Amino acid sequence: MSLKIDRRLLQNVDWALLATATVLVGFSAATLLTLNPGRAGSSVAFRQLAWFGVGLLALVLVASVDYRRLVRFAPFFYLLGLAGLAAIFVVGKTVSGARRWIGVGVFSVQPSEIFKVAFVLMLVWLLCSRWAQPISVWTLFWILPVVLIPAGLIVKQPDLGTAVLLFPVLILLLVGSGIRLRLLGMIAGLVAAAMPVGWLLLKGYQRERILVYLDPLRDPLGSAYNVIQAKIAIGSGQLLGKGVGGATQSRLAFLPERHTDFIFAVFAEMWGFVGCLVLLAGYAFLLLRGFDIAASSRDPVGRLVALGVTGLLATQVLVNVGMVTGLLPVVGIPLPLMSYGGSSMLMSLAALGLLLSVRMRQFQ
Amino acid sequence: VSLHPGPVFSSRPARTADRRIAVVTALVMAALLVIVGQLWYLQVLEGGRFLDASDKNRTRVRPVAAPRGILFDRHGRPLVDNRPAFTLSLIPRELDRDPVRRDAVLGRVASLLRIPYEELVHAAERASPESFQPVRIRRGLGLEDVAKVEEWRLELPGVIVEVEPQRAYPTSRFAAHLLGYVREATDEQLRQGRYRRGDMVGQTGLERLLDEYLRGRDGGEQIEVDVIGRPVRLIRNTEPQPGAQVVTTLDRRIQEAAERAFEGHAGAVVVMDPRSGDVLAMVSSPAFEIDRFTGTIDRASWLAIVQDPKHPLLNRTIQSQYAPGSVFKIVIAAAGLQEGKLAPMDRVFCSGEFQLGGRTFKDWKEGGHGSVDLYRAMVQSCNIYFYQAGLKIGAETIGRYARAFGFGDTTGIELSGEKPGLIPGPKRDRRGRLIWHAGETVNMSIGQGQVLVTPMQVARFMSGIANGGVLWKPRLVQRIERPERGVLWSDPGKVTGHFDLSPVVQEFLRRSLWGAVNAGGTGGGARIPGFDVAGKTGTAQSISKSRADKGQDHAWFASFAPANDPEVVVVVLSEGGGKGGRVAAPIARKIYETIFLERVAAIEIGG
Repeated sequence: MSLKIDRRLLQNVDWALLATATVLVGFSAATLLTLNPGRAGSSVAFRQLAWFGVGLLALVLVASVDYRRLVRFAPFFYLLGLAGLAAIFVVGKTVSGARRWIGVGVFSVQPSEIFKVAFVLMLVWLLCSRWAQPISVWTLFWILPVVLIPAGLIVKQPDLGTAVLLFPVLILLLVGSGIRLRLLGMIAGLVAAAMPVGWLLLKGYQRERILVYLDPLRDPLGSAYNVIQAKIAIGSGQLLGKGVGGATQSRLAFLPERHTDFIFAVFAEMWGFVGCLVLLAGYAFLLLRGFDIAASSRDPVGRLVALGVTGLLATQVLVNVGMVTGLLPVVGIPLPLMSYGGSSMLMSLAALGLLLSVRMRQFQ
Repeated sequence: VSLHPGPVFSSRPARTADRRIAVVTALVMAALLVIVGQLWYLQVLEGGRFLDASDKNRTRVRPVAAPRGILFDRHGRPLVDNRPAFTLSLIPRELDRDPVRRDAVLGRVASLLRIPYEELVHAAERASPESFQPVRIRRGLGLEDVAKVEEWRLELPGVIVEVEPQRAYPTSRFAAHLLGYVREATDEQLRQGRYRRGDMVGQTGLERLLDEYLRGRDGGEQIEVDVIGRPVRLIRNTEPQPGAQVVTTLDRRIQEAAERAFEGHAGAVVVMDPRSGDVLAMVSSPAFEIDRFTGTIDRASWLAIVQDPKHPLLNRTIQSQYAPGSVFKIVIAAAGLQEGKLAPMDRVFCSGEFQLGGRTFKDWKEGGHGSVDLYRAMVQSCNIYFYQAGLKIGAETIGRYARAFGFGDTTGIELSGEKPGLIPGPKRDRRGRLIWHAGETVNMSIGQGQVLVTPMQVARFMSGIANGGVLWKPRLVQRIERPERGVLWSDPGKVTGHFDLSPVVQEFLRRSLWGAVNAGGTGGGARIPGFDVAGKTGTAQSISKSRADKGQDHAWFASFAPANDPEVVVVVLSEGGGKGGRVAAPIARKIYETIFLERVAAIEIGG
C-alpha cells in the first residue's frame, strides 16, 4: 500500500457525501455568524470554517491511506488516545468544572473527541482478529477492558455523554460482526442489572440531569433550565421560524451552550420546523450513505469500519437532537459538523474520511 | 493475537450481516422520525405557547407612574402639585437567586442608605421571585442617597431607583383634612383587588373621595432584555395618563387666612357661601403634616399620629360633635316667633338666676341683665330669657324646628365619616310615660344638655338664615375635568332642605344678629367698623364635665356678612377656648377682613 493515489480510487470518491457534509458545515457557520452579530460572530464562524479546512486535510489524509492499514495500526492509535485521555489529568484545562481539554500551542484539543475514531478502529481490529471469531462470552470478556478503561477515564473528566457513546458503538460493531442475538440479549440483561450500580457511581449533577429528564419541572431554574429554554427556542420557531433577527431566545442568550451543544435549538428557532426538516434530511442522507457503504463493502473489515463510524455519527446526532428537543436527558454531546469546536470537527471529518476510504476501496 | 485481520465471518454468511445493517439503518431512521415527531409537537402543535413563553422571557414592563390629578381652588389656583421624586425599589426577578448573595446585596443597600436590613429582606421575600413588578422600599429618596445607589449600581443587581411623580403641598398642614393624604395602598385595599402593591392611593379627604379620577392611568415601557436583564431595546412605550383636574369650591386665599387666624387653637372653622353652599374654607385643628404620609412613613411615626390624644386625623368640621351653646338661641328665637309663642315686645326680668323644680339655672352674667326683650336677650345672649322662652315653646317644637334647620342629620357632604349630631326630644317609655324633664327643655334652650351639632351643620344653618331658608348640601367639588376631554363630572349644587320663616321673623333674626356684633352685644369682638357682620356667640360646656378644668368651655361664633346681603358665612369653634365672644369672634373678624379686604379698606379710607 502506498500514498500514491490510484485513478480508480478517485473515481469512487463519494462526492454526494462530501457535498452534504459541506452544506451542513455551511449551516453551522451561518448559524454561528448570525448568533452574534458583528465581529464576534464572524470570528466564531471563521474559526469554524478554518477547522473545517483543517478537518478536510485530515479527511484527505485518512481517505488516501488504506483503511486496512489503519486498522492494523489501531492498537497504536488506541494507546495514543488513552495516553491523551490520561494526560488530561496532568496537564488538562478546566472549563466550567470539567477537564476535557489539553492546550496545544494556541489551540485546545479535546482528546475524548479524537479518541472516538481510534476507539472504532481498535474495536474493528479486535473483532476481526482470529481469536475473536466467532464472538463468544470470552471475546466479550477480553473486549470489556478495552471499552471500560477509556470510558472510566472519560467519565472522570467528567464527560458522561462521550463515555456513554462508546457503548452503542460497541453493540453496533458486535451486531455487525455476527454476534449471536441470544448472547446480545444476555448482555442487555447484564447491563440492565448493572444500572443501579452505575447510578451510585454518577456524580450528583449527573444524577440530577437524569432526574430532570424524567421530570422537567423538578427544578425549573437549575438543571432543567437548559431544557426549558431549548424547548422554548425550538417551539417558538414554529413552522417557518423567526428568521435571524427574531430569534430572541438565541440572540439574547436565554439559550445556554448555544454555540456548541444546543446549536440545533438556535437553528430551529431561526428556521422553524421546515428548516429542521432540511437539516435532519441532510443528516439522514449522511447516515444512509454511511450504512450503504457498510452494506456494499465486500470486505468484512471495511464493512465494520463503515458501520462503526456511521454508528458513531448516528448516535451523536440522535442523542444530541434528542436531548435538545427534550426527548433524552441532557448529556454534553456535540452535534457533528454543526456544533462549534475544532476537535469535534476533526473527529467528524476523520470519520467521514474513513467512510470515503471504504467506499473508494470497496471493489478491491 | 495477530496484527493482521484474517479471514473472518466464515460461519456467518455476508447476507446475515447485510440484513443486520438494514435493521440498524431502519432503527436509526425510525429514531430520526421520532425526533421529527417531537419537533412537530414542539413547533407546530405547541409553537404558539412557546412563542408566548419566549416573548415573556425577553420582555419586561417597566411601569411609569401617572401623575395624580391636580386640585384647584375656585379661582384656578393649585392646592397641591406634583414634583418628581426618587423611589428605591427592588425588582424581585433581577435579584440574585442565591439567597446568600442576595442578602449580601441587601446588606449593602442597608448600610449605604441606613435602612433596616430586616425591612429589605422582608420586602424581597414578600413578592414572588419571578415578578418584575418593582417592590417599593423608600419613597422620596434624597439626591445624596440616589447618587450612592447609582455609584454602586453594578454591585446591586435588582436594586433600582425609579423616578415617580409625588404630591407636593404649599405648606405641610395646608387644608390637610379637606385634601387628605396619599399613601401606598394598604393591605386591606390590596385585598379588595382594585390596587396593586405600591400604588399610591388617596386615603382621606378629597384624595380618597376622588381617587378614581385623580389617579390617572399608569403607563409603561415594554423593553426587551437579555438573559441577565440588561435592556436591549424599547419595544413599546405607553405614556402614562395623568389624573383628571379637580376644581374645588375652596378659595385658597380664604383657606390660608382662616388657618392663619385659627393658629394656636384646636377646633374647626368653616367658611361657606350661603348662596350656593360652597365651602370656601375648611379648617380642622390640630392638623397633621400631610406630606409626612407621602414618603414611606415608619411605623413609629404613624402610630404617634394615630394615637395622638389630640386626634390630629379627625376632621372636626364634620366628624366632631359639640354642644352648640348660645348659638342654639337662634333656633329658639326663630321657633318662638314663627309659632307665635314669643313676641318681640315681651319683657323678662333677668336676675341672673332661674328656679325650676328645686333646681337653680344660672345666667352667664353675674347679677343678670335686668329687664330684657327678645332683641336684647339675643344681643346680650341672656340665658334667663331663653329658659323661659324654651319652656313656653316646648321641647317637641324646638326639636321640630332644629331638625328643619338641618340639625340632627348629616349635611350630605361627600367626605366620609360625617357625624349626624343629636337633637333630643321627649320620648315615651313602654308604659306611655314621658321620659323628659322640664329641666332638659331648659338646658336645650341654651344649646346645652344632649344637643350636639357639628360646625358644618351650624354653617349650613347660618347659610339658611342668611339666604332666606335654603339648606344647601355643602359643596366641595365644582367639577372634574380633563384638558383633552372636557368636563367629566360636575356638581351643580343641591338643595337638601328648606325652611319657611316669615319675612318679619327673618328680618328680626338678621337685626338681632347684627346687634350682637355691632350694638354692644357679646359678639363685639367680630365688629368691623363700617362693615356689617352679623353673628351669634356661644360658649358650650364640653361633654366631659368630669374634668375640673374650667377652660374646657368651647367657644363658638356663627356669623354671616354683609348683614343685609350675605355673601359669606363664617363659623368658628375653638375647643376649650373659653368665651365665644372673647375667643371665637375675633378669629371670625380676621377672616372677614381678609375676604372683604378691598371693601374694608375702602371704608377705612372713606371713613
